[in-house]
Amino acid sequence: MSSLLEIKEVVKRIYSKYDTYIVPVFKFLIAFIAFMCIKNQLGFMPRINNVAILLIAALVCSFLPVGFMIFFAAVFILLHCYALALEAAVVVFCLFLLMFLLFFRFTPKDALCVILTPICFGLRIPYVMPLAMGLIGTPASAISVGCGTIVYYMLHFISQNSTALGATDAGEAMARLRMVIDGILGNKEMLITVVAFVFTLELVYIIKRLSVDHSWTIASIAGTIADVMILLLGDLMYDTNVSVIGILFGSIVSLGIALIIQFFVLGVDYSRTEKVQFEDDEYYYYVKAVPKMTVAAPEKTVKKINSQMGRAAHTGHTSNVATQPVRTRSEYPQQRRASAGGMVRQGAAGNTAHSPEHRNVSRQAASMTIGTQHGQQENDDDFEEI
Amino acid sequence: MLNEDRIILMTKLASYENGEGRKNVAIGNYFRSDYIGIQTAKSVLSATVAFAVVFGMYVLYDLENFMLNIYKMDLFVFAKNVLTWYGVVVIGYALLTFFICTYRYNKARKSLKNYYANLKKLASLYEKNKYS
Repeated sequence: MSSLLEIKEVVKRIYSKYDTYIVPVFKFLIAFIAFMCIKNQLGFMPRINNVAILLIAALVCSFLPVGFMIFFAAVFILLHCYALALEAAVVVFCLFLLMFLLFFRFTPKDALCVILTPICFGLRIPYVMPLAMGLIGTPASAISVGCGTIVYYMLHFISQNSTALGATDAGEAMARLRMVIDGILGNKEMLITVVAFVFTLELVYIIKRLSVDHSWTIASIAGTIADVMILLLGDLMYDTNVSVIGILFGSIVSLGIALIIQFFVLGVDYSRTEKVQFEDDEYYYYVKAVPKMTVAAPEKTVKKINSQMGRAAHTGHTSNVATQPVRTRSEYPQQRRASAGGMVRQGAAGNTAHSPEHRNVSRQAASMTIGTQHGQQENDDDFEEI
Repeated sequence: MLNEDRIILMTKLASYENGEGRKNVAIGNYFRSDYIGIQTAKSVLSATVAFAVVFGMYVLYDLENFMLNIYKMDLFVFAKNVLTWYGVVVIGYALLTFFICTYRYNKARKSLKNYYANLKKLASLYEKNKYS
């Protein structure tokens, strides 16, 4: 367990250090995968099937807010549908417009779910979405997950019926329109899946907020069971012909992913739970405090020692030649700060007198400098010597 | 002189201002009634457009029969039914918006109260430092 916690700390540290680069890279990958899925699923317009165009669009999305990713994806879908049949494009446009007008205004933060849900459907693990969003999202996340599910089934329907929709007979335009509307709204499998996902997400959210030990794990397991039960019941009632093995296997994998998310987001040690009770003028407090599991990530310090120079400094070498007794990686920024203050480093070389206040300021400035802790201590010692 | 408490507090405040705080400050600039009123008006507009889209699709779905029966049907009753549905949709959506926006406004005010308290604390730290 401790090694896992160490890995978690390392991952957290790497993320916090390089999040400026990691976030755009992830956004780029998600956008590119989404655009590729759209291309593979639909792909009716050859002009936008070029991978270079998708790469450029994904690159643009990596620097823009997540909402733009949805915008680009919607534009690609509409263009492909337009290339197939105008009626399909009209229905899809109306559906996107309704989603935008009625739902996305209230859940702009969960916009990524609308993209991730169809991707998870493609990976055969859509059941992870209600579990994950129930754990880390809000009850309103159900809207985004539901919309994502509708988008997937809509694309699936158009892809499956492309031959019928692509017929060029102008007289059949109304029939095609009816076919698209019936195919999307009358899809029982889609309705059951939306109901199952919404119910699962709310159930997971409610259970994880209960004041019981291992509530997150219980929520994930209960959510998985509820999801499977609703989908199988729906299959029995409406004969949707879903793959039972696929549901079971996908749900188990999704549960595993949900537990991994829980490990990274929560990570508490229930064996050290403390229950305290106290009062103030207005309230009685019944507090349950669960400590987080933390472990210090191993730190590596790169150090370069020049023994001759070090000895020279200790023997009171005071010439104007800049000597550096112990040089560490973290010394460079500090050196700049010190020289900006105009006191310390110059004093080391030229014996300029300076007051204890100045020394104190320099030391505090040094402690603000980001560097390895060991190196920092050594630098402080250097100042003492000066 | 650098003050560790002050730096920690300033970092927290800056982090809040860049994240959740930006949205909350925007909400906090409104009076309660103004914020909820504007959001509800937006919702009424959205619901109207959404209803028009759905109604358009409904007509298009069975356009041939609709055009055949348009001279036979009682247009007044039809319009009354459509307007009733429109009213139900718009009022329902506006009510939902009202509840959501009330909740959001209260939450934002609470969060901003905490933020302003921290700002006061920061100011007092500066004052303390000035006279020490």
